Parts: sequence; C-alpha cells; structure tokens
Amino acid sequence: MPTASLRIVADGVGRRYGAVRALADASIALEPGEIHAIVGENGAGKSTLLALLAGARAPDSGTVSVGGVPLVPATPREALRRGVGLVRQHFSLFDALSVEDNAALGAELTRGFGVLDRPAVRTRLARLAERAGLDLGALGLPAGALAVGARQRLEIVRVLWRDARALLLDEPTAVLTHGEAAALYATLRSLAGEGRTVAVVTHKLDEVLAHADRVTVLRRGRVVGSWATGATSAEELTRAIMGDASLPTLLRLEPPSVAPARFTFSASEGGLDLKLEVRPGEIVGVAGVEGNGQRELVRAIAGLEGSSRATVVLDGVALSGGPAERRLAGLTVVHEDRQVDGLVLDATLGDNLVLGDLGRCDEAATIARRIRAFGIVPADPSVAVRSLSGGNQQKVVVARALDREVGAAVLAQPTRGVDLAAQRAVHAAIVEVARAGAAVVLVSADLGELRALAHRLVVLVRGKVAAELPIDVDDATLGRAMLGLEQVA
Amino acid sequence: MSGSVGATMAVETLRMSVPYVCAALGGVVSERSGVVNIALDGLMLASALGGVATAIATGSAVAGVAGGVATGVLLALLHAVVVVRGRVDGIVSGVAIQLLAAAGTRFTLRALYDSASNSPSIEGFRLGPAGAGATEALARVLLDPIAWLALVAVAGVPWLLRSTRFGLRLRGAGENPEAAAAAGVNVGAVRIAAVALSGALCALGGLHLAFDQHRFESGMTGGRGFIGLAAVIVAGWRPGRAVLACLGFAALDAAQIVLQDRVAVAHELLQALPYVATLVAIAGLTRGARAPAGLGRHPDPHP
Repeated sequence: MPTASLRIVADGVGRRYGAVRALADASIALEPGEIHAIVGENGAGKSTLLALLAGARAPDSGTVSVGGVPLVPATPREALRRGVGLVRQHFSLFDALSVEDNAALGAELTRGFGVLDRPAVRTRLARLAERAGLDLGALGLPAGALAVGARQRLEIVRVLWRDARALLLDEPTAVLTHGEAAALYATLRSLAGEGRTVAVVTHKLDEVLAHADRVTVLRRGRVVGSWATGATSAEELTRAIMGDASLPTLLRLEPPSVAPARFTFSASEGGLDLKLEVRPGEIVGVAGVEGNGQRELVRAIAGLEGSSRATVVLDGVALSGGPAERRLAGLTVVHEDRQVDGLVLDATLGDNLVLGDLGRCDEAATIARRIRAFGIVPADPSVAVRSLSGGNQQKVVVARALDREVGAAVLAQPTRGVDLAAQRAVHAAIVEVARAGAAVVLVSADLGELRALAHRLVVLVRGKVAAELPIDVDDATLGRAMLGLEQVA
Repeated sequence: MSGSVGATMAVETLRMSVPYVCAALGGVVSERSGVVNIALDGLMLASALGGVATAIATGSAVAGVAGGVATGVLLALLHAVVVVRGRVDGIVSGVAIQLLAAAGTRFTLRALYDSASNSPSIEGFRLGPAGAGATEALARVLLDPIAWLALVAVAGVPWLLRSTRFGLRLRGAGENPEAAAAAGVNVGAVRIAAVALSGALCALGGLHLAFDQHRFESGMTGGRGFIGLAAVIVAGWRPGRAVLACLGFAALDAAQIVLQDRVAVAHELLQALPYVATLVAIAGLTRGARAPAGLGRHPDPHP
C-alpha cells in the first residue's frame, strides 16, 4: 500500500513525573523509510521519549512535530489520526476480547447504522495479520490466550489497521527469542521499505547494529548522540550508554556438585510431558520458542495452574501446597510477566520488596538491603512501583526472589527489558544462589544469557523435552532443536 | 390438578421474570462498559412512579411508558455524570442514587397523591382476556406491550454488545479503558450512553411491576433490582446467561406464590426463597465468573 512519508521530530523536549526529571532538552528526528533505534540504560528516558513522539504523553517543554506540523493536542488519538502508532512495552490489548475485536476497536468497519461488518473485518485482519506475521490460527482466540510473541504481533496489526505511517515500538524484542526477533525486524524492515517511519526502543546492541539504520543514545534523560549504525560500533555505543560507569564483571561459574538431584519436577498432563532434575548448585537453562510450555512449567512449579497434575520435589519433600507454602519451603519463582505476577503496581516500592516476607524479617532493614544490593532507582521505598522504569521493576522482583534462603529458584526471563548493568547484577545474584547450593531453573528467550549462566540446556517443544544439549552447542543445532527438528535424548 | 399447577407456575415464572430480566440487562450494559451500577433497584422504583404519575396525568398508558423510561434515563444519567465526569466511586454514587430513589418516591407519592403507601390506580394496557385460567393468564402475560419491549431487549442487548460498533467500544471501555482511549474511543461518552441505556432497561422492569399492579406502591420493587444484579454476577456479566439466571429466580418467586396455599410452611419462609437462592447462587456459582477488567477504573485524565 502506498504511504505518504511522515517525518517525526522532537525539538528540545523535556518531561517530569512529579519530582523525577525523566527527559531534558532531547531532540531527535525520525526519518521515513528508516529503522531508528533508541538505546540507553533503564531510566535513561527512552520510553518517555517514545511516548512523547507518539502523543501518549505531553512534553513539559519543547515541541514534537509530525510531518512538519506540531502535535497538538498531544494525545494518542491525535497522533493516530496523523498516522503515528505506538506499540507499548506492556501491552494495551483487551484480553477478554477476540483478536478480531482487538484489531477493529476504535476504527471499526461497519455496514452502516453502526453495525459491524464482520466479513470485511476478517478479510482485512487476515491480510494485516500476514503483513505483521501473526499466526492466522490465532484470529478467533481471545487476546488473553495468546503467547507474548503473538500479542506483540497483534499490537502491530492494531497499528497497521489504522493505516499508521509511523510505528513506534517500546522494547518489542524484550520477550522474543532470537529467531522471533529476527523475524520481527524483517517485518519492520518491509514496513520501512514501504516508506513508513519505524522507531524501536531496545537494550540489545547486537539487534541495533544488525537491523537499525540509525541509533540515538540517551543517558540520564539527555540525548548523548546519534549515529548511522554503519558508522559506529558496539564499543562506542556501550561507552555512550554507560558514560564513565564500568561494567561489573560476571562471576565465573563453578561446575555443579555431583550430589543427587535437589529439585525434581515431573508432569505428564496439562500440556506438559517432561521430567526435570536439578542438582544443588546446578543451573539448568530452558530454551524454546515462546509458547512451548515454558509458562505452564513455571506456573505448575509455582503452585498455580496445573500444579495439581505435576509433582514437585525439593530436598526430598513433595510440595503440594499453594505458592505461599512453596515459597516458605525454599522455592522461589520469578514469573515472566512482572507487572501481572510479580508486583502490586500501586503499592510502594518498600511494600513490594518485602511482599511474602512480611512479619518474617526486619522490614526496614530488608528493604534497605535489597534496594542497595540491586541498585534500585529511585532508592525511595515510599514511591509507587508503577512509577519505576521497567528495568527497576524487574530488579524489585528479582531482589525479593533471590535475597533470601533459596532451595530451588525458577526464573523466567529474569533480565527481560533490563539494561546491561542491571543484567549483570541479576546474573551475579543467580550465580550467587547457585554457588550457595540452590537448584536453579532458568527459562530465557535470550540464548546469550542461557549460555553465560547455565550448565546445560533443555529445549522445550510443545511441552516436552525435545533435546538436552551442552551449553557450547552451535546456534544451528539449537535452532533446529527449538523448532522440533532435532531429536536428541 | 397438578398439570394446572405446572401451567400456572410456568405462566407466573414468565410474568415475574420481566422485572428481573430488565434489571439484569441494565446491569450488564452498565457494568460491561466499566461503570458499577448497584442502583438498578432504585432506577426501577423511580421509573415505576414516573410512569404511573405520567399515566395518571395524561390518561395514556403509552405516555406512561415514555414517562417511566425518561425517569430511568434521567436518574441513570445523574449516576453516569457523577461517576464518569466527577470520578466518584461507582458504589458510592450507586448507594446515593438508590437512597434518592427510595426517599424521592415516598416524598413524591405524598406530594402528588397524599398517600404513604400507593398511588391511585391506573388503567394500564389490559390487553388479553379476563379469566382465572392458566391460558387466559398466559395470554395476558404475552399481550403486555412492556413484556414485548423486554423481549426485544433480551434479543437486542446481546446483539448490541456483539455486533455493533457501540457494543464493541462499550466492551472495550469496560475491559481496558486506557487502551480504549488510546485507540481513539471516547470512553466517557460511551460509558454515559451505556448507563443511560441501563436506566431505560431498568425503567422497563419498574414499569412492568407498576402496570401489572395497575398502581404504584411504595417500595414495590422489593429488592428485585438487587436480585437482577446478582443474576449479572452469577452469569459472569454475559447477557444471555443473566436472562437464564433471572428465569431461575422468577421460577422460585412463582413457586413461592403457587405453593403458599398448598403447603404447610410459613409463607414468610417461602417468600424468602428467592433471596436465599440469590445468596446460594452467588456463593456457589460465581467462582469462574470474571468481571470486566476495567470495571470501576478510569483512564488517565492527565497524560
């Protein structure tokens, strides 16, 4: 479809949230036909800048203009009307509504008199789903039943539905596997090829260098610089992102003890058919394409859905109670969706940090220790967790999970959407609990993370262990295993 | 004899289900849009008096229906504006509307008709044959224009929610108001319209009660709006199931009346049947029920 090009420019924009200055005097120009990456630490102002460009927030100072015309009023509705669509980090779908309803809502096709034209909706949806890489089998489901990767694609469908000429995506690959991320960038590239303007906020420099045309780096709310990706390097970008701060080095991992399994999980029903044995000090990496039983595995272990059909044994004791009971028994779980399963968003940072430990610890001291140990910003226990950046929210979840006596830890996407420094802190904490003798199950879409931390890899395909692989397996073999093509016992 | 008891039960169930069904559909429409509406009963009561007073003043039953619906819509709009524009908690506003309706109808009854208990009688519609048999009773139930309107609502509300732009936006506003606003939906306007429609539906329920009795009686809804609300919750906010739940409550109501003279149980106990059933249903059947995710939540007003 031909699309008139749309240049989006922010000129000296600033934005505060209460006392926190998220962005100051930032300028950026998004060119049609380009993929423009915006990178920076957690809390550097990336998401805020994107929200200002998309009208989701109004700037306190400076101007945003779309196609040369100031974006006034600065509302998502006005931005959409001008052809600017935002895909948020935390999805804004209607979970109880069908994929079809989600796509059409707000820009419905009707047969007149406000009656929905379902056949026309389906035809258009089928076409856009293909453009956005959404599995056509998903079209009849409620959005809440989709896996994270498919939800992402649905968000893109919703934006394309409105004929957006610019797509702004906030950490779109944070939850995707390497292959899914590459496919997403291929989709974005073809959209950019049609003259659309594409901007992506991300943490992953390898993606930026591989897929983006231009990159803008933010640090502490200010634009540090902007480069054509061909004219820069990972080293230069890392220096720009981190400033003078240096990366803590990752602790070297020790081999696990030869002791018998400390933690075992087995299930043969409810979409899972597998047995997992983890020795003390061992980190087992669970790899797989999103939606192949990872979520079910984690929830069954935690004592949520499906736990009645699974057997979980820790230190020789079968765990059969609910999540709170299991936590007391020494099991710790980090779920993949921190905002839904990990945090009480409207409660304070302090309360969230000691959820589950209330009455069992010196709360003030525990809160202070966890904030310090994980470098949570702002270090003010009285702020609402909702106001923290995504990376700092994740630190809260991980701090609560790992800063305690841990028998077994099950961690799903523990560094999803987290910056480099925080990633290192989380990784160090994982290595630390393993070194102290915990059995660790690490579910991650980030193969680099699995390779850096795990002792061995388990590949899930449709809820079964399709392959067990050493961590130094080559990418091609691992990729085939994740697609279910490689059968290795 | 037992056949005739069964027939009477069935007819009475149909007749008594109308107020429940109207209230429940009103509840579904309001709450699926995200606005808590616990004042269904009050809306019914006020509309019943509004309808009767209009019918008495004009001598026209049709004008009475219009007056009743107008009363329900206006009172519902008050609730909607307070909740949507004023951002007052829906429960608080609902309690206020409920109390306003209860006290306001007593006051109006006294002011207009100088009575603490009831209005003068009205003609109503009186279509269908006289006579005490079940067949005649069935004909009277089926020939009641208000029951027709209720039937239209039974078919129309699910269709409206499922197949129209307004219905889709209404569900979106109730499910995720922030996302609906971001998608360009005027969440406030959609909600106000939904609550107004809720008022009209409740009005039909109140009008059915009053026209059935051919007069307004103080407190004549007897908590039926709350039972309708219970049906909404039992049904998981789905209109079709809510109607079925209402038929169940109405059947108990009818059983209570039919059994009154036939079994040796204190009739106070029998009269409590629908309310006890409501409690049991709420306690037993609502575990899987999922309220609209955005119920009572407002989109961020100051981005």
